[in-house]
Amino acid sequence: MDIWDPPHYVAARVQRAIAEDERTNELGIRVDIRGDHLFLQGQVCEEDQRERVAQVAAEAAPGMVVHNEVICVAVGEPGEQEVL
Amino acid sequence: MTIRIAAVGDIHLSEHARGTYRAHLDGIDERADVLLVAGDLTRHGTVEEGQVVVDEFRDLGIPVVFVLGNHDYHSDAEQEIAAMLRTAGMYALDDSAEVLLDGRLGVAGGKGFGGGFAGKCASEFGEPETKAFVRHTREIADRWRIALKGLDTDHRIVLSHYSPVKETLAGEPPEIYPFLGSYLLAEAADAAGADLIVHGHAHAGTEKGVTPGGIRVRNVALPVLGRAYAIYCLGGEEL
Repeated sequence: MDIWDPPHYVAARVQRAIAEDERTNELGIRVDIRGDHLFLQGQVCEEDQRERVAQVAAEAAPGMVVHNEVICVAVGEPGEQEVL
Repeated sequence: MTIRIAAVGDIHLSEHARGTYRAHLDGIDERADVLLVAGDLTRHGTVEEGQVVVDEFRDLGIPVVFVLGNHDYHSDAEQEIAAMLRTAGMYALDDSAEVLLDGRLGVAGGKGFGGGFAGKCASEFGEPETKAFVRHTREIADRWRIALKGLDTDHRIVLSHYSPVKETLAGEPPEIYPFLGSYLLAEAADAAGADLIVHGHAHAGTEKGVTPGGIRVRNVALPVLGRAYAIYCLGGEEL
C-alpha cells in the first residue's frame, strides 16, 4: 500500500538535506511545497552553489518539480562609512 | 582620533572561490585602518578552504582580525585554520583579545554560541546535552568578560560570529533565534564595556541593533550588507 508522505515532512527532509549534504552545507534555505511543486528560497554566496542546492533538493524529493528561487548574493562596493 | 573599522562576515569561501574574492578588497588600506571578519570564512571548514581564506586576505596592508564561525568548525580543523591565519600575519581570536594600532584599538571575542535571548532562552537544567549547550555559551561569555577587561586601549570592540542581541536577527524566523545567538554575549560586553559589537551568522537579519546597555551592534553578514564590507568610524567626526 502507498503511504502518504505529508508535504510538511518532505519540506523538512529537503531542508535538512541541503544543510547536511557535503555538496551544499547551506543553512537558511527556505523550502515550500505546493502540490508536487517544490520552491527554494534564500541566498547563497556563489552561483554554482545555487545549482547544487537545487540538485540536492531534487534528490531528496524525487518526483517533485523544483523551482529554484535562490539568489546569489551580489557583493557591491563598500559604500558610505557610518560614524558611531 | 578617528579609527575606521572595516567589517564583513559569512564570506563562505569554498575552493571554487580561489582567486575571486581578493578583488573586493582592493584599496581597503586607503578606506580603513583595520578589517574585522566575523566568522564563517569557509563553507565546510576544511584546511583547503582555510588556505583559500589565507590567500585572499593576506598582505592587505592593514591588520586583519578573524573569528571563526560554525561552518569553520564542521571538519574539526578549526585550530589548524586559526593557526594558518596567524602564520600568515593575521589575527584569529579564540575567546581572546588583541591590541592593535599602537594601543588605540582592542578587539576581543571569538565564535560565540547560541542559547537565545532573555526570557526566551535555554538554561543549564535537565539533560546533560542541554546543560552542555548552555554552559558552552556561558563559559565563552565569561572568557570574553576577562578578555575585555584586560584591554587598556582607547577603544574596544567585540568581534563575534553569533549575535548578542535579537534586534539584528530581525528577518530571521523567530523560532531559530536560540541557534543564532545569546544574550549572555551582550551581557558580558555590557558588564566590561565596549564601543561596538560586530557579528555575522544571521544572513537574513538586519544590520543595526543595540545592547540593553547601549553598545551599538552591527550584523555584517555579507548577505545583510550586500557590499564587500561596512565601514564604521569610532572616536571622531566623519572624515
